[in-house]
Amino acid sequence: MVEFEPAIKAITTNEVDFVIVGGVAISVHSTGYITRDLDFCYRRTTENLKKIVAAFAPFNPRLRGFPEDLPFVWDERTLQNGTNFTLVTTIGDIDMLGEVAGVGDYEAVRRESVSTSLYNCEVRVLTLDGLINAKRAAGRTKDLLVLPELEALKELLTETDEE
Amino acid sequence: MTEKLSEERLEKIRRLITNPRPGSKVAAALEFGIDLTLTLGQLRKTPQERLESQQSAMRGLEELARAGAEMRKRNNGRV
Repeated sequence: MVEFEPAIKAITTNEVDFVIVGGVAISVHSTGYITRDLDFCYRRTTENLKKIVAAFAPFNPRLRGFPEDLPFVWDERTLQNGTNFTLVTTIGDIDMLGEVAGVGDYEAVRRESVSTSLYNCEVRVLTLDGLINAKRAAGRTKDLLVLPELEALKELLTETDEE
Repeated sequence: MTEKLSEERLEKIRRLITNPRPGSKVAAALEFGIDLTLTLGQLRKTPQERLESQQSAMRGLEELARAGAEMRKRNNGRV
């Protein structure tokens, strides 16, 4: 389980360029979907990687699913050598994605996002359309199961749009 | 939509859920077994309140998992 408030505050106070995707984005859009981790897509510039390292360093990030005694260095170089990272930290499980299937790289994900406020922090989350495309592209049973609710929610919001 | 909705709009959504248009995505979701009244309940909240509900649900699930592990231990692995 991830503690949302410290995770989101750590990323935003360090001014990381990121977009919340996955289950937390689905939850923010109002579904009953339950997730155990925080997934976000991040810009892969050197400056942003430094900010991410600073943001999560206090929470002792390690690779999830690997032995605890396996050496792992949480630094900018490690992040440069990969794209997607599934981490376990002292505040829970956090997944970092360099791109999102069905949407694209960070710039595409950023374009397909909207802003909202969480814990007094301005954050961006993937749109309902983006989530629907991502879930379709992922194509696993667990992703497809959430599609009917996302599509119904999209229809409800579109048909009652007051603008 | 990540903001809290007006009462008027929530009422329109409630009507669409209780009287779904045949062939609509809402009808398909209900047919699939999704309880859209839970979705409506989430729409009544702010984004942060939605996330706090999620956090609370996660804590509940962890407690259930802990209780399940304890039950298996107490019953020598019998399930």
